[in-house]
Amino acid sequence: MPSLTLLGQSLLSGIFIGALYGLLGLGLSLSWGMLRQINLAHFALAFLGAYLTFQLSSVAGWDPIATLALVVPCFFAFGALMHWLLARFSITPFNSLLVTFGLTVILESVIQGIWTADPRRLDSAYGAIRYKIGALYVPFPELLTLVLAATLCIVAWAGLRYTEFGRAMRAVAEDASIAAAFGVNERALSLLLSGLAAAFAGVAGLCLALSFTLAPSQIYSWIGVVFAAVMIGGLGNPIGPLVAGIVIGVSEALTMALTAPTWAPLVSFSLLIAVLLARAKKI
Amino acid sequence: MKNLQRRAFVLAGALLALSAAMQSAAAPSGPPVRIGSTLSLTGPLAGTAVIHKITGEIYVELLNKKNGLLGRPVEWVLRDDQSKPDLARTMYEQLITVDKVDLIIGPYATPNIVSAMGVAQRYGKVLVHHTMGIPSLAKYDMQFPAWSVGPTPEATVPNTVLDALAATPRAPKTIAIVTSKFPSVYLMSKGAQEVAKKRGLQEVLFLEWEFGNRDYGPIANRVKDAKADFVWVGAIGLEGNELLDAMKKIDYTPPLHFYMYPSPGPLAKLPQANGALAASIFEQHPPYTNNPLAAEFVKIYNERAAKAGLADNSVETQAAASFSAWQVLEAGVNATKSLDDKAIAQWLKTHQVDTIQGRLRFDRTNNYGDDLMRVKQVQNGRWVTVWPKEWAAPGAKLITP
Amino acid sequence: MRLPAAGWIAIAGLALAAVPFLKPPAFYESFLYLVFYWIVLATSWNILSGYSGYFSFGHGAFFGAGLYTTATLAGTLDVPFLWTLPAAAAVAALLGLSIGAVVFRVGRLRGELFALLTLAVTFVVANVVLNTRIDGGQGVNLGGVPLPKIMSSPSSTFYVLALVLAVATVWIAHAIYHAKLGTGLFAIHDDEDVAEVMGVPTFRYKLAALGVSCALAGIAGGIHAMFISYVTVGETFSILVPLTVVLMSVLGGTRHWLGPAIGAAVITGLLYAFTASDYPVAGRAAVGLILIAVILFMPAGILGRFVSRPRRVAGVTPVPADSASPPVQQGGQREQLLEVRGLCKSFKGLQALDSVDVEVLRGEILGLVGPNGSGKSTLINLVSGHYRSDSGRVVFEGRDLTRLEAHRIARSGIARTYQIPRPFSHLSVLQNVVLPAMFGRERLGRAAAEREALTWLEFTGLAGKAEDLPAGLNLHQRKFLELARALASRPKLLLLDEVLSGLTPSEIDGAIRTIRAIRDQGATIVFVEHVMRAVMELTDRIVVLNNGRVIAEGSPSEVMRRPEVVTAYLGRAHA
Repeated sequence: MPSLTLLGQSLLSGIFIGALYGLLGLGLSLSWGMLRQINLAHFALAFLGAYLTFQLSSVAGWDPIATLALVVPCFFAFGALMHWLLARFSITPFNSLLVTFGLTVILESVIQGIWTADPRRLDSAYGAIRYKIGALYVPFPELLTLVLAATLCIVAWAGLRYTEFGRAMRAVAEDASIAAAFGVNERALSLLLSGLAAAFAGVAGLCLALSFTLAPSQIYSWIGVVFAAVMIGGLGNPIGPLVAGIVIGVSEALTMALTAPTWAPLVSFSLLIAVLLARAKKI
Repeated sequence: MKNLQRRAFVLAGALLALSAAMQSAAAPSGPPVRIGSTLSLTGPLAGTAVIHKITGEIYVELLNKKNGLLGRPVEWVLRDDQSKPDLARTMYEQLITVDKVDLIIGPYATPNIVSAMGVAQRYGKVLVHHTMGIPSLAKYDMQFPAWSVGPTPEATVPNTVLDALAATPRAPKTIAIVTSKFPSVYLMSKGAQEVAKKRGLQEVLFLEWEFGNRDYGPIANRVKDAKADFVWVGAIGLEGNELLDAMKKIDYTPPLHFYMYPSPGPLAKLPQANGALAASIFEQHPPYTNNPLAAEFVKIYNERAAKAGLADNSVETQAAASFSAWQVLEAGVNATKSLDDKAIAQWLKTHQVDTIQGRLRFDRTNNYGDDLMRVKQVQNGRWVTVWPKEWAAPGAKLITP
Repeated sequence: MRLPAAGWIAIAGLALAAVPFLKPPAFYESFLYLVFYWIVLATSWNILSGYSGYFSFGHGAFFGAGLYTTATLAGTLDVPFLWTLPAAAAVAALLGLSIGAVVFRVGRLRGELFALLTLAVTFVVANVVLNTRIDGGQGVNLGGVPLPKIMSSPSSTFYVLALVLAVATVWIAHAIYHAKLGTGLFAIHDDEDVAEVMGVPTFRYKLAALGVSCALAGIAGGIHAMFISYVTVGETFSILVPLTVVLMSVLGGTRHWLGPAIGAAVITGLLYAFTASDYPVAGRAAVGLILIAVILFMPAGILGRFVSRPRRVAGVTPVPADSASPPVQQGGQREQLLEVRGLCKSFKGLQALDSVDVEVLRGEILGLVGPNGSGKSTLINLVSGHYRSDSGRVVFEGRDLTRLEAHRIARSGIARTYQIPRPFSHLSVLQNVVLPAMFGRERLGRAAAEREALTWLEFTGLAGKAEDLPAGLNLHQRKFLELARALASRPKLLLLDEVLSGLTPSEIDGAIRTIRAIRDQGATIVFVEHVMRAVMELTDRIVVLNNGRVIAEGSPSEVMRRPEVVTAYLGRAHA
């Protein structure tokens, strides 16, 4: 009979990794749902952010969290630029998948060119900090990930719902030409949103760098599960990927705690399929 | 017996170096001997393949500085198989039928090696390869492994490790085995399970995870709860690091732990990895480096790896196996004074080759020979060999908590 | 020499088949094997996802199912290799069909949800294979399986096997493209609900496309298992397989049968071109750059500009309108054609129709009027099968249509127009009308359907626009396109949903004449309208709906003067 501590710790573990899925999925969901661009390069961008965090911290001695001051604005600009390019060529959603795949390959090659394919691990003071709640451990990097993910997702959700910008953005997402007829500056808004999505990728990069060992090929192992979280959370819904991510993470963690860990993906993805079918029937 | 072996090894190395120095006067000339292979220069295997690339380049340079092969310069025709076995197969066919190389040498990673082996078999080429993890797949009679694991590593490696541990005051009585389901690693972990049972250790935990797993928290928790004396971690690449990280987060370090195929550099650098064990055929410290050729190789490799920007510059199992593979091929060519694959294969099957990891022979099942695996341990951020005692670093021994 | 495309495929196939006999170095055969292999995967994916728009992210699951079938049968159970290939096809197809049988029945599971589902299936299948004895974690070794000596060398044998499969796959894609199945799939792509209402059996067609797609991918997997001779779960079910397949198809053009093959050849060649070891990383980056450049400058894919509709049958002369009709049943007793009894429909609590009884007599023009939101369009949607009713019955010519799928209702002879025109945006005007003729009551062959379509285009004045896309039509023309589509299926009952809204007065006059002419040819018409002038002029009887209930029924002039009808339209009667 597994101990309560084991269950509790595994539950926490699943929540933490689910939060990272949600954080990675936030930018992806927004640009897919609102801008109709499936940005596969989001993952490579997050990893580039992670590597930059690693470089600035390990080599230049910055505090990892402080690296956001550089990463976020640069990524924002990059995201806006990327959207400008896609919009200029009137790229359809599926074509955007192809373009961003090309971008992924380029970014991966850049990463390998600069940092080689050797694994890199950021050794920061934050890695050693952990809190204890009863018998359960709450490590600082993971807690930071959860806090950042929850904050950004909720802020994004509230922003879309309650602010002028958010309403305008939703209008553009529904029908860009009509929104423009109402005076909404669709171009500026789209660039803004795309920049934000990329900035979110940079934040996710910080979390990756703090908690994981980095290698260029690792980019691909996140694609499947984050896409799943985004698609089931609802495109354009900032909180969706977070909730879905946590559900996936927790179901996998509990499976790993209770039975052979190797069955974990089976449980999480079967659950996903069941939810999909149940939801769709209702309509 | 082992001591004798070691001295013979050092002597052979010295003789080799001496003869090489004597021949350095004559530079190779004539049409080049072209040796072809692929490596996974891009893709998931790139991290390890770059080690093989650097090693091969160094070896060919050293060859050409002396007498080349049969007095001719050596040219290495290398292609990128992008970590894909179907590309590896196609490229070996390209090397043999289009580029018409004289000899081939193996790629990196088991699936690619199996693909290359099929091609070698069809064209009757001798194939020396570096680090293939599943000997039972190697059914070609002209293939030769340069990684001295013996034909049944799933038995010999766990036995060696447990021998090493049994010689300490903290010989383990209980064992926890956690493993990835990556084929070559899984084979070893299942073997460890068998060996542990035969040796009377109690298995308190056996867990498998899917290769590509991201969350090691629950697994770390279950290892902690199992309270085993010894934890065998069937991890490849980053997995060991991730598991150690996860264990540190819950304030747990196993009393004794072993990692099958870790990324050695990053693992050694983790503070919580102090005391971790791994298998090894070579480390860059005496007595290995008493062999002058090995010492020379280590020096050049350290420089080249640093220049290439690698995080870890030291020579260990992968680089040593790679270097050995070239040594085996060179030995075969020099002994038969030809580039004839059949002759080379015949000679290799009936003779022994001195390499920087030791004396290799190929006379057992599937052309595998002795098991020359040793055990190394992370001590103060560096890997040092600790077992068997003859190969331990000067003054080093297996430290137990 | 003008050959049909099938001829060119055959010639290309034969030419390529000659290659092994020229005894080239084995490398070329293996490289071309890889090209053919990707051609099969990409083209088979496209048959479902490109044609019908059901974007699958799970092609790896079906490929892997076939691969592991061969691996298990040949590697573990010693079944001769060639016999494993039909098994691989069967297993992959079965997997796909069982998924499709469930998923395609569930409404609204389209777009990214279908992609997600197929992706999830891949992970599930991979996990099951990894954790059972199919693979078990150590991979499956096919090194000991004898390869049949079809050609003199193994590389030639693989070449020929893959070539045959590739030619077959491309030919199948081409055949489907030009067949009814293809037209139906493309219609599903543009507007599945409308396609179903026009008579396309959408469930069956999607299932057929999925089955074919999976079977072909399965065979490719089986052959590939032998090619690499040692298979592992990680390699087989990697996410790069479905991703690459999508990319190849999009690059080549998903709306064309040859598109994916072109994309496959280009990308395989591109990846191979950069395999020299000097700058592998830079080479990889260059591949990414080239991909981006190609898609930026060729957004519809390489073959995008060649997206063609099926060829016009040469020398088609339209049949004059009035000879295409059965004689008019004038006057006398009109028998009952359609009976609606107690029909109820609610949407999330809003009762759209409440126990509606309506009768339609053969040969009449029945007006269906009422204020906005009274349920007129809902009634049309229910009768045509666009929605299912909650309770009640719809009986047509004595047959109970209530629970039938919409395409069967269409086949029985009911057609409708949409209030806001919903043409198939990627099919030409002509093809839009050909489709209902092919799938409607008379189910004509393509040549006859094209003749029929042209007839109706002439009738509605659109013949000059036959080769244009619907986007090039103005509202009036699009409304008439709706009309032509409805007529092309030779319906017995025609449901017109506000065809006149948005037209100018002179256009309305023309439309009224047209509608009358349609009735004179023998159709029965239910005519939903707000334009009172037309209602009064055209209809024999009218039925008034308000708040989902029938409140009046009778002759137009008489009914429209009833106080409850006036109240319904205008509110309280004005003094």
